[in-house]
Amino acid sequence: MKMKKKLALTDILEQFRQDERFRDNIVHWTTIPPREARCVPFPADLDQRICDTLSRRGITSLYTHQASAYEKVQAGRHIVAVTPTASGKSMCYHLPVLQRLSEDPQARALYLFPTKALAQDQKSELHELIGETGLAIKLETYDGDTPANIRQSIRKAGNIVITNPDMLHSAILPHHTKWVSFFEHLAFIVIDELHTYRGVFGSHVANVIRRLKRICAFYGSRPQFICTSATIANPKELAQQLTEERVELIDNNGAPSGTKHFLFYNPPVVNRQLNIRRSATLEARDIAASFLTNNIQTILFARSRVRVEILLKYLQELIRSKLGPKTIQGYRGGYLPTQRRAIERGLRQGEILGVVSTNALELGVDIGQLQACVMTGYPGSVASTWQQAGRAGRRQGESAVVLVGGSTPLDQYVISHPEYFFDRSPETARINPDNLVILVDHIKCAAYELPFSEGDRFGRAEITEILEFLTEEQILHHSRGKWFWMNDSFPAHNVSLRSASQENVVIIDISERGNERVIGEMDRFSSLTLLHEEAIYLHQGVQYQVERLDYDEKKAYVREVQVNYYTDANLAVSLKVLDEQEARRLWQTECGWGEVSVHAMATIFKKIRFETHENIGSGPIHLPEEELHTNAAWISFPESLLAAIGREDVERGLIGLAHVLQHVAPLFVMCDPQDLHVVAQRKAVHSGQPTIFLYDRYPGGIGLSDQVYKEMETILDQAEGVLYSCPCSSGCPSCIGGAEEGGKTLALSLLRVARGGSAHVS
Amino acid sequence: MSLKAKLNRMRGHLAIETPKAADLPAANIPHLERWRELDAAPHGSADDYVIIRERRYPLDYQHGSYRFRELADIIRAWEEAGRSSHPLSAVGRRAGDLLFFDTETTGLHGGVGNTIFLLGYSRVEGQEVVVRQHFLAAPHAEAVLYQSFLEKAREATHLVTFNGKSFDWPQVKTRHTLLRDLVPGLPAFGHFDLLHPARRLWKRELPSCRLSVIEQTKLGVARQDDVPGYLAPIQYFDYLSAGDPHLIEGVLRHNETDVLSLITLYIHLSSLLLEREGEAATEAERLEIARWCEAIGELEHAAKGYQTVAESSSALRGHAKLALGRLYKKQRKWRQALAVWESYMQENSHVPQEIYIEAAKLCEHQLKDDEKALAYTLKAFDLWKKRGTILRRKSQAEREAFEKRIVRLENRMKMLAKKDCQF
Repeated sequence: MKMKKKLALTDILEQFRQDERFRDNIVHWTTIPPREARCVPFPADLDQRICDTLSRRGITSLYTHQASAYEKVQAGRHIVAVTPTASGKSMCYHLPVLQRLSEDPQARALYLFPTKALAQDQKSELHELIGETGLAIKLETYDGDTPANIRQSIRKAGNIVITNPDMLHSAILPHHTKWVSFFEHLAFIVIDELHTYRGVFGSHVANVIRRLKRICAFYGSRPQFICTSATIANPKELAQQLTEERVELIDNNGAPSGTKHFLFYNPPVVNRQLNIRRSATLEARDIAASFLTNNIQTILFARSRVRVEILLKYLQELIRSKLGPKTIQGYRGGYLPTQRRAIERGLRQGEILGVVSTNALELGVDIGQLQACVMTGYPGSVASTWQQAGRAGRRQGESAVVLVGGSTPLDQYVISHPEYFFDRSPETARINPDNLVILVDHIKCAAYELPFSEGDRFGRAEITEILEFLTEEQILHHSRGKWFWMNDSFPAHNVSLRSASQENVVIIDISERGNERVIGEMDRFSSLTLLHEEAIYLHQGVQYQVERLDYDEKKAYVREVQVNYYTDANLAVSLKVLDEQEARRLWQTECGWGEVSVHAMATIFKKIRFETHENIGSGPIHLPEEELHTNAAWISFPESLLAAIGREDVERGLIGLAHVLQHVAPLFVMCDPQDLHVVAQRKAVHSGQPTIFLYDRYPGGIGLSDQVYKEMETILDQAEGVLYSCPCSSGCPSCIGGAEEGGKTLALSLLRVARGGSAHVS
Repeated sequence: MSLKAKLNRMRGHLAIETPKAADLPAANIPHLERWRELDAAPHGSADDYVIIRERRYPLDYQHGSYRFRELADIIRAWEEAGRSSHPLSAVGRRAGDLLFFDTETTGLHGGVGNTIFLLGYSRVEGQEVVVRQHFLAAPHAEAVLYQSFLEKAREATHLVTFNGKSFDWPQVKTRHTLLRDLVPGLPAFGHFDLLHPARRLWKRELPSCRLSVIEQTKLGVARQDDVPGYLAPIQYFDYLSAGDPHLIEGVLRHNETDVLSLITLYIHLSSLLLEREGEAATEAERLEIARWCEAIGELEHAAKGYQTVAESSSALRGHAKLALGRLYKKQRKWRQALAVWESYMQENSHVPQEIYIEAAKLCEHQLKDDEKALAYTLKAFDLWKKRGTILRRKSQAEREAFEKRIVRLENRMKMLAKKDCQF
């Protein structure tokens, strides 16, 4: 057989331009020109040993952002540096920290990374750097894997301690008396990947930092914060909220980059009447295949774990004959750490040609720089999209990013309005450290660490009432102006920073008798719809069927199978308003905000055939109901509508509009689209009116629905825009979710009511 | 830093008069009469005070199987035996140096928030044993708790505890760190932790090595109406919310018994270790003590202990012989080692394969007795072959090692036989 010649990236792009299979579907093509490096000489006061080390590595100057970070930190400021992927951002903190340690061997620095993997990466990088300078700096990671026998020496003598927020929360702060000299000399707190500290996790971490600062103050130190973040709209605000300090923003990126082609690809319409397009998954597969078969290292992003596995299965089959099975790997949350490390290494060393990933690889895990990136569907936010796109791109040479639009309203909106994406500033990261559930948890932990005194605040939070509450609950004891921890428990063990991580369901493969093994894990809420009995669970491209889900023991027993379908489960949600806290009129509708209780239950699942995606069967799911107390924003329509346009039609209109809002609203409040859910009710329990609710998917709420309430008008305007710009005639999966006769008109007439018009269906 | 803050930081180093208990305006202390009934009185200032409970016992008082007076005797016995290297040795100490110490805390784990609310100890003072308990009547007075403790315990040099090395004392250090600007530093006490000796001696025999179990089975201490230790946190929380001293009485009595039993336990352990007259250690205890001596390098004492057990009629004498043989080997006393092993072989139908091998090596390399060496090797090989059949798992390397040794010994014996013929 004659070997086909491998094409270079530019040739493939040229083919895309020519070939009608692709040409007509590329709706937008932006070429981001290469950028020259902007450099400045080493700062005059930088230690000679550090200068020499950099010179030996061929570095003779600093990028502008690195130099600014160094100067600001030297001047005693807290900073946040915002830089794209692969711009040498870690030097923004390594340089000032090493400089201080070269002057003061007593000084200490704490490095916080959101995951253990990132911590390991940074440790090996920094270890080499320190070794080359010859400075006597002790660098250690302190996490769950650190052997007990070296923990003491780390506590007593580690100059740089690398850890994660979870470890700080449950192992370091509650034992701070073992870290006296560390806290006494703590000069820097480095927070890398700042943008990941948003939503629930960010709100928890902000409180952990409040506790950390309290302990530092007790030992008389006042450390400087050095943060780095990917591009988001409000890095400075987020840094200031997390650290509760005045922070200076550094965004004068001086790193060079090569030419980058950014393609928007909309799958072809296969049913014009219903506006049904070819599946984004299949299109993404084909595009990725044309890169991979030409030996171009490619990353393919998918939006769910199931999609990752489906794509992996497709590609492995497609490529097997040409490349051998090992060269394309999956990467997502459920894989075990060792497996993930091996994949990262394989990518860096080029042994793995392609990887299919969820947004798990958005983070700065070091996998080197790939040449092509394909996104299956819009990742949900401008910031995420740039992060994922940043995985492709080298300092020199060309790279390509292809965004393949899915059928959701948001995807279709973005793909047909490229300017929305390219001109819009990225999203805002929000946290709410004063969420009562989260705040109370951390006040307990803080009281355990040091008693509170009258008049104390916890960061910015006013806490006297909470302290009094905890005293009544006999958790604290009030004695002469101070509140003391007075309980026999260890509070940090009852608080998990990542809401569901303590309750993960373990997945056990029982295919081989006597050789049962754990192949992964999954949070409890996801397990309702992904690990119910008879579900097809995909792991590394292998299909397993769930035989039994032991929900109490949190174990799922799976067996390997080979079937031509996957499963998709329905979640039934009911919602009740407990307390309306704010309300206002909006023409004929009412907007409200308050506390609600939500009950969620997995009901049935469908079996869906690969390739054709047709429904070939279904079954019931028997799992307990999950309950959630949270906050919601809602919009209620007048009851008179029911008579005017009919009950059935109102319901159809609500469902259609809810579908649009589910996709539009997350744009305005950021966070994962999973964090904000939408429910429509024809007759809401609290008012009897047709209502659409948008609620925070975390107990107590994290401030998303508050924002929705405030921006309801804008959100409704955007929803209207989505409906008008959709080319379908009466509704499609890309706007109202289905092709029901008149559905789109009904949704639009509801919107008109909210915008001061009449409901009349013209 | 403000002067006030600085003064506070230096407070531990400054001479600040703490008012005596008698100076306290009694009217301000709630339940004063009830505390008196418990032999307790406030200490500190009216704002910041702790309760100190003090109980005195004459030296002739018998707690369990011993009188307190015997503490002085046992220290003398250590001196006379000259055993200064043993971890429990009191050589060079006076009775009053020892602080028999135990705490009660609000939890069981070692985190910062686990508060010590009771520091209790017993100590010989003059012609009495004094039990003193410093009780945290209100959490804000913690600095006074440690100040008063350090003041009263100043004269002691060694702590005697039960699990205090890994729990009580580290927890004292933890809480002290929180108050380090207000309280003088902790002294560097010597430390005898009796949990580990107790485990060594009795873990095979007793269902658990908790102090209460040892009291009952080994020390002849009978507790009446005792409040189990794990209830202490809850009783303290109850006391804090109601303020009634009687709610904490049970914990105080429990702790008192604990610190008194530590004296008895120390006397008892020392008596066993020193083989004091009239103190009949069981053969099991003797064997464990000998092992302990061996572990810390007191080889002569170890050998003597093993010998006593080996020569007894105890069921453990076989164990003692094996241990003694190994010890002799370690000491390069080859003939004695072989003699002990051979006596073991005579007495026991089942002999561990290793013993034959050890004996064979010893005969071949040290005693140059090839005939015996061959005999023991063959016995070991026999055992190995039998065991191999049972386990269905034979290592080729092991077989080769046996065969090599056998061939070597046989060849050498043939050569010797030839030589004999020639002459």
